Amino acid sequence: MEEFEPTIIAFVCNWCTYTAADLAGTSRLSYPPNVRLIRMMCTGMVDPKYVIKALLEGADAILISGCHPGDCHYINGNYKARRRVRLLKEILPRFGFAEGRVKLTWIGASEGVDFAATIKEMVEEVKALGPNQTKEQMVI
Amino acid sequence: MKKKIGSALVVGAGISGIRSALDLAELGYQVKLIDRAPNLGGTLTQLDYQFPTDHCGMCKMLPLVERDSSSQYCLRKGLFHENIEIMLSTELVALEGEPGKFQASLRQKPAIVDPESCTGCGECSHVCPVEVADEFNAGLTKRKAIYLPVPHNIPNSYTVDLAACTLCGECEKICPTGAIDFRWEARKQFRILVVDDELIVRDSLKDWLTEDGFQVDAAESGPDALEKMTKQSYHLMLLDIKMPDMDGVEVLKRAKEMRPDIAVVMMTAYATVETAVEAMKIGALDYLMKPFDPETLVPLVVKLYENIERSGEREIEVGAVVLATGFGSYDPASGSNTYGYGEYPNVVTSIEFERIISGTGPNRGRLIRPSDGKEIRKVAWLQCVGSRDIQTNADYCSSVCCMFSIKEALLAKERTGGQVDAAIFYMDMRTFGKNFQRYREKAEKEYNVRFQRSRVHSVEPGGANGDLRISYTDLDGAGREEIVDLVVLATGQRPPKGTEPLSELTGVELNSWGFCQLQPFSLSLTAKEGVFAGGSFSGLRDISESVIQANSASLHASSLIHSKGGGLSEATEKSPEFRDVSREFPRTMVALCTCGDSLVLSADFDGVETTVSGLNSVTQVHRIERICTQEGWKELEEKFNDSKANRLLIGACLPYVYKGKLRELGKATGLNPALMEVVDICTPSFPSRNTDPQQVSREIRTTISMGVGKLKGMDPSSLKAIPVIQKALVVGGGIGGMSAALAIADHGFEVDLVEKEGDLGGNLRTLHRTLEGDPPQELLEQTVSRVEKHPNIQVYKNAQVLNSLGRAGRFLTTIEKEEGEGETLEHGVTVLATGGKEATTESYGYGKSEAILTQHQLEDKLHQGSISPADLRVVTMIQCVDSREEPRNYCSRICCGSTLKNALYLKDQNPDLDIYVLYRDIMAYGFLENYYTQARQKGVFFIQYNVDDKPRVEVENGQVAVGVTDPILGREVTIKSDLLVLSTGIVPNGQNELAQLFGVEVDQDGFFQEAEYKWRPVDFLKEGVFTCGIAHSPRSVTETMAMADAAAQRALRILNNERLMAGSTVAEVRHSLCSLCERCITACPYGARLHDEYEGKIIVDALTCQGCGSCASVCPNSASVLRGYRDQQMFSVIDAALADMF
Repeated sequence: MEEFEPTIIAFVCNWCTYTAADLAGTSRLSYPPNVRLIRMMCTGMVDPKYVIKALLEGADAILISGCHPGDCHYINGNYKARRRVRLLKEILPRFGFAEGRVKLTWIGASEGVDFAATIKEMVEEVKALGPNQTKEQMVI
Repeated sequence: MKKKIGSALVVGAGISGIRSALDLAELGYQVKLIDRAPNLGGTLTQLDYQFPTDHCGMCKMLPLVERDSSSQYCLRKGLFHENIEIMLSTELVALEGEPGKFQASLRQKPAIVDPESCTGCGECSHVCPVEVADEFNAGLTKRKAIYLPVPHNIPNSYTVDLAACTLCGECEKICPTGAIDFRWEARKQFRILVVDDELIVRDSLKDWLTEDGFQVDAAESGPDALEKMTKQSYHLMLLDIKMPDMDGVEVLKRAKEMRPDIAVVMMTAYATVETAVEAMKIGALDYLMKPFDPETLVPLVVKLYENIERSGEREIEVGAVVLATGFGSYDPASGSNTYGYGEYPNVVTSIEFERIISGTGPNRGRLIRPSDGKEIRKVAWLQCVGSRDIQTNADYCSSVCCMFSIKEALLAKERTGGQVDAAIFYMDMRTFGKNFQRYREKAEKEYNVRFQRSRVHSVEPGGANGDLRISYTDLDGAGREEIVDLVVLATGQRPPKGTEPLSELTGVELNSWGFCQLQPFSLSLTAKEGVFAGGSFSGLRDISESVIQANSASLHASSLIHSKGGGLSEATEKSPEFRDVSREFPRTMVALCTCGDSLVLSADFDGVETTVSGLNSVTQVHRIERICTQEGWKELEEKFNDSKANRLLIGACLPYVYKGKLRELGKATGLNPALMEVVDICTPSFPSRNTDPQQVSREIRTTISMGVGKLKGMDPSSLKAIPVIQKALVVGGGIGGMSAALAIADHGFEVDLVEKEGDLGGNLRTLHRTLEGDPPQELLEQTVSRVEKHPNIQVYKNAQVLNSLGRAGRFLTTIEKEEGEGETLEHGVTVLATGGKEATTESYGYGKSEAILTQHQLEDKLHQGSISPADLRVVTMIQCVDSREEPRNYCSRICCGSTLKNALYLKDQNPDLDIYVLYRDIMAYGFLENYYTQARQKGVFFIQYNVDDKPRVEVENGQVAVGVTDPILGREVTIKSDLLVLSTGIVPNGQNELAQLFGVEVDQDGFFQEAEYKWRPVDFLKEGVFTCGIAHSPRSVTETMAMADAAAQRALRILNNERLMAGSTVAEVRHSLCSLCERCITACPYGARLHDEYEGKIIVDALTCQGCGSCASVCPNSASVLRGYRDQQMFSVIDAALADMF
């Protein structure tokens, strides 16, 4: 069997992590191509329903990444994201998703290296978790 | 109405230059922003982390109103604003004319790489054989002669460093897009005349230069050269100075008479350098030192050729000039004590340490040392290297090093989970700014950073290979040593290179250290009217102060242009009318950039096209070769015009770059640019990441589908403009409030100035002298009289604010005037400048004796004559009374200056008087240091005390005795004093009540809380309300006035418009779904929402809203939506992202 290649949806904020991803790209840093970036204005606007929707549609994992605490372009959006992800992780198992399928990180604009490393690490983690079976199991 | 527009030139594109340029652009002026570096950002490009958040927040400088006119992404990457033209590698070479109407000549270095064609692939850099130190990493890494100046900039094209380039031409051959062009053909047209009496010199120069493509003739003497010039015209003459019958200088004079435009370079031996310099004064361009070798000579000539032939000189007319050229750094290797810098690789400067710890630095952020890659576990920071140092002509404090060393120590601690031992060796820890003191204590108490008060005298190799031994003397006189892995030198600031010529050509004056000399009571006015100073050009400022000062400079520039009739825009330009497409089905045209052929080769473009054509809403798909070029863009425009589409999706690289182009396209085609989007299809196909064409095709397909999905659901309705009441309210009639009121009124807007007391002037009324010797009372009189006579200013004395409602653009404030009469004022902006006051105290026996008084009282009594210096024998002064410890754990910043002022005055009046100053750290920041030196030279005694061992005061029979532990003597001394003067510091003045009335915040000490300490120092989070002066934090008169300028500038960017446009990414409410739960109101960080109970609706203040989307994600009914990110858009994006998985 072919090796499982996970698909990760990354909700990244416009100011920090998107910039870092761009920097990683333009600096020719290599990281696995398993991630699809969705640029949001701020992590504070990542509605949990987007996360659940993506998982239900078959994404193997979700990354939410924004500015470091204290550094949000919109003052405190990343704190809102942090609280929200914490709650989200509480309810994920009830949907049948392992908690590890959602990850929250802070990656600043100049941290292209960290972005590449985070993606690498996350792909490994998700490979260990195995594919998200929800699409096969759930009937919506 | 006709639009009156002025223009300005900003020299230097670092933080303050960008700030000034943005300020002026936001006021509607056309701005040229130039920098001699090939990149934007100045020093900030190298700093990833800044105090106090220890991250970067530069993006917070971007416009908050009219957001669509500028870029909305990381400002360290790049900047776009429709009113700013950025010219890099450009210098100001001449400035003629008069204030309000200058002619500025700008010279741009030749671009060998065409930025339009360069795709940044980096092939050129691979083949380049030259390696030199990389400035970006402060010399810690190497780069090629063709390189990217800053890796994260956009647009980012390669640049040739002509000084390093050997002209081998390899890069030109390999460039896949033909972007590199040394233009060898053009060189044949360039004629050089070599004049030297030595045959060998003539022959070898001719050989070398001919080989490199130039046309070279030789002349053996002066007369021979002049004769050759009559027959043939030459572009460049290389001229020997010492020749038998006619010397070089004489030839130069005659040649210039014959052909004034000929470029002449003198050739000289060591002995005649002075003559060569003289020659340059009469018209020679440069000189070359003998003996030559081809490796150095040819590139020099090529450089000259490039400068002469290809540098575009451009003359522009501008109303005002802001000089923001920043600062240079002291080179420790140039001093008498080098601390081993340049000799031991593990001795680095603070900027080098910033690079070591940066993710884009030499080790990608790993804390390993330069010599051997060993993990760094013990670091020593040495303060004041090249500052506070008379031996290196730096009798000033560089003001910023204490804080950045603490920051670096904290970063090192954080990066290693506290495993690094960090020690800071200092003389005084100058934590004089807002929150600095608490930051220091956090470092000391929470992170265990060691603060060691002592001067390290030597750094030598010691211990294991590469380790360093630092030796210092402890306060008790004992010699001590430590072995460390790394020594960081906190190097002081110097004027930047080129300051002197710049001052000569602009007419600004320099002080004795070579920084710009400012006018009294100003941080931005120079000796030359119309030329203003921003940032560290006038010496030594941190980011926050640079921003304030840049605001101040741009305000004065604007006032000047305005007064000369250049004016603010009289009417806002009608916002472009866009076609109403809200009743049309979405029709999307997709344009794919093929990037020459490189993308087509690495991906299955036919497949991509088929998939994309099949997407819902897509009507057309086109391939365009290089959308980034002018031809490509034109092709796109034509195709789009013919397409009848109402959505446009472009797949290209670097989406950031297209912001301005899309805005123009919107104007040209009548389609709202919010319905156009650019997605990156290039980055996923970079060779190193992925070479599998299937993979690349899938990436491109997905990216495009996601873009199409998002565009399809985009709300096509247009936004409404918001009307602005063009009047200001200023609360507080001290020097800050008056300055702000005058600045706004001078721009033609009405100002209401409310002062609670019966007289204007505030604290300035009781200030009689300044350290610099400028008379404060004259300033007061002039300012008060200008305010009272100003036709646009209405002053309300004995009045106070009762209530205020509203938001940016429209406030309603009720005030109580004299005799209890009420009045309601309507205004568009508010400036809160209510100042502060000297604290009272119960410490040190204050109140027990007439001989114990505060600094302020001393100044007053000296002025009145009730204390005569001649009657005094001993005066003791105690600093930091009740300050810099909880609960008032902040430095009041001005007390050390006042103490120095009074001490110097007393010493001046009575040299026999003994003065003892008991201090914790003398906060003589910046050029104040000079007065500290003077005080010590005149014999004022300074005794340092610790906060846990404070001085003790006893009063007996009116005689005051002060006991203090002298750290140098190591024992208690008692000073019987005629006077004991206490520096009690400054406390706020009722900020709390005003803050509640205006819906803004105060900090834990009761001063106003700004939106962001570094990047938005005078703003509140609530848009439309600004603060300045002591109301924000303690500061001097001059600093208060600069801050008032800044507040006025921030206010004017709103007042200047009759109507303002919200950004296209803005929140809205679907009232039919809204249950009025008000969750969005608490979620909004800007206070942009309110519940209109009369209408029964949640209202969004579109001007204040910054589009963060917090409200949308908390809304339980999806009633709150963010334009551009509506739920159905996000769902289509997610669907598209997952449609094509592995």
